[in-house]
Order: sequence, then structure tokens, then C-alpha cells
Amino acid sequence: MKIHSPEGNIAAESRGLATAPKDLNGVKLGILDNTKPNAGLFMKQATKALQEKYGVELVKVEEKNAALAAPEDLIQGLSKEVQIVLTGAAD
Amino acid sequence: MNEEVNLIELARVEEISVELLEKYGWGDGLPIIAPTPERVDETLAETDLSPDEIVAVLAPRFGEASVRAIATNAVMAGCSPKLMPVLITAIRAMARKEINLMGVNATTHPTAPLAIVHGKIVKELGFNSERGAFGPGNRANATLGRAIRFILLHIAGANDGDASTQGQPSKYTYCVAENEDDSPWENYAQHLGVTAPSALTLFFGENPHNFHDMESEAPENILDKAASVMATLGCNNACISSAEFFICLCPEHAQTIAAAGWGRKEVQEYLYQKARRSAKELRQQFHLRVWQDWMEESPDEEFLPVTDSPENIAIVVVGGAGKHSCVIPSWGMTKSQTLPII
Repeated sequence: MKIHSPEGNIAAESRGLATAPKDLNGVKLGILDNTKPNAGLFMKQATKALQEKYGVELVKVEEKNAALAAPEDLIQGLSKEVQIVLTGAAD
Repeated sequence: MNEEVNLIELARVEEISVELLEKYGWGDGLPIIAPTPERVDETLAETDLSPDEIVAVLAPRFGEASVRAIATNAVMAGCSPKLMPVLITAIRAMARKEINLMGVNATTHPTAPLAIVHGKIVKELGFNSERGAFGPGNRANATLGRAIRFILLHIAGANDGDASTQGQPSKYTYCVAENEDDSPWENYAQHLGVTAPSALTLFFGENPHNFHDMESEAPENILDKAASVMATLGCNNACISSAEFFICLCPEHAQTIAAAGWGRKEVQEYLYQKARRSAKELRQQFHLRVWQDWMEESPDEEFLPVTDSPENIAIVVVGGAGKHSCVIPSWGMTKSQTLPII
């Protein structure tokens, strides 16, 4: 028996993950906080550990609504000022 | 994934359902109808659109909802081919930016897409707007809602992307029709200015929350119960002021209210005034709020509405005999869409 696939094609171009920096020493760090409870706390603690271990420099903290995609200009702004971003924490 | 998949030596629908779910992750766990080319072609014959036309691109997978893919899901869900124009309208509505499909599919909230069918097509296609309208027991209601869910699962990618903590039963199917024959008012789509003979509303919300009033003859007494349900601290409306409510009034409640000379506007305004909690309590309960500035600036002793405008309270007449109505709170960061069915 042959059947149709219910999935449809994917319209978006597939993107891989950005290449991780080989060396974290002295890199500029940003935080993208989705404002969910404890997200900021978690990322600030992670930043502290990275500062102590690698001397990363926290240069920018941005916030966004957890229910909406981050605005393009916010992402572009971060990409110009920092080399790594901590994000992704939720509930 | 190719448009066609071979399933050799499987003849019984139970086996096909298990195979599809286990091998490809397709379906909702209940038996499905195999979308054979013959069945899909029969469904495609009910639309003038080309099978390859892309009706919408659906997040978070950014899957292309081609007419053929929509028809395939319709077959799997058990839809009559004649439901195609209604289903296509639902998918168009779902893709509008105001719905915020990326958020809907990524949230831990149990939100599900409620489709409300209005107008001439309700009777033409046999939707149930009367007794037991939310189900079970009617093929059009059950399968249209299920097909919408299938499209979320298969095309939008909600099988992996739906992050709901507990889910909810309306994620299987969630479709109802408006009971215009027994409504004292014009239908909801007409109220919004959608003048086409038939229309569909799509709204991402919770399961219905029942309220009953067996005795009141005053609109206020009936609506106080609705307001009480609306003002719960547990729904997202309490901390997101732009969130809508859908109030599905049974015909007897609607007729009692209308007999006092009230229209939709009076009902909306009354509920807006009554469904409130103190600003102090709301602030204590929610440190994360998406409120209008005037709400943030209000003193603690003020009682704030649980939605920031009477227009966020949608009034629809649904159901048969009896005095049970319901409130459907919103997911929050989404806005319902009402489109003509063409």
C-alpha cells in the first residue's frame, strides 16, 4: 500500500549551530534573558563561573518576552557587540 | 521526506496506525485512516486550489502546508472531503502572525486551537452547534478539529515542538459550531464585520470551564457566574491583560440575557466590570506581568479587570437545551482570527 506523507516540505533553510569559540579566555559575553523565573539568576551565576574561570567580559544583558521570538534588531545588536550569548532558559 | 511512503503488506487500519506512529511519529495515538492516493485525490477534488499550492508555512518546523499535505491530514483524521474549504481556512487563520504559532507550539501551557464555525456552512456540512456541540458524537466537529491538530503535529512540527507540561484533552480535537437558530444575536463573525455567508474563528485557549445557572432571570446573576470563572488566578489572562476570553453562552442563557434588552456589547461591558481582582492581590501573585501601563500605575486598592478591554471578551452562542455555559480562557500572547470561508 502506498500513502501520502502528511508532513509537507520544510520551507526554511536548515542551519547548523554556530561554531563554538576555541578559547573562552577574554571573550565578550552577552545574556539574552527570556524573563522567566530564575532564568536571569541562572545565567548570572553561569556568567560568574565563566568570569572566574576564563575571564570573560559581560558587556550586554538583553531581555525579551518568553512567548515571542527575539526581535531581529536585538539579535543583530548582540551579534555586533559580543562573541557568545547565554540564552535558552525557561520555566 | 518524500510525498509518498511505502507501507507494504499492511492492510488493516490498526496496523497502519501503529506502524505510522512508531515508525514516523505520525498520528495522535488513535486509529487513523490511511491516506492513500485515491482518498487524497478525492479530498483534493473538493477545492479549486492546485495540490502544490502552499497555503501557509507553519512554525516551528516551518513546514509547508501544501493543499496536498492538508488533504492528506484531512484523510488521516477521517474528514469528509467536503470539509476541505473549512480546513484550509483554519490553516490560513493559524498562520497569521497575530496567532503567534511559534509561541503556541513552544509553550508549556496546555493551549489548543479551538475552531468555531459560523454561518451557512454549519448546516450544509453537518457541524453540531446544538446539544453536546463540544462533543463527542459528530463527525464534522470531531474530524475537523483532529485534522487541525494533525497539521500542527505533522507540518508545524508540534510532535517535537509542543512543550506542554500536561497537555489537555482538547489537543486531540477542538471544534464547535455557533448555534445561530437559537441565538438572539447575529453570529459572531457578522458581529466582527465578516459578512461572508460562512466563516471560521480560530482561538488558542484552554479547555472549556463550565458554569451553570438554573434559576436566574436577571442577566446580572447569570453573568456574575461567568465573571467568577474568568477571574480565577490560575489562567494566563490574570497576568497578560491583552488576552481574550471566549464566552460560549447556551441558548437559554443568551435568550434570558437578551430578553432584558442586552446585546453583546452590554454583556462584554458587564463582564469587563465584574471580572476583577484587586491590584494588590494580582501584584502579589504575579511578578511577571504583561499589563497595560494604566494597570501598572493603578493603586493597590483598585480592582483591575482580568482583560484590558471589553472587546477582548468574545460572546458566542453554542449548545442545546439546558442552562450550562462556559468560559474559555486564552493562552495569552495570541489573538483569535476570524476569516471568511471561501
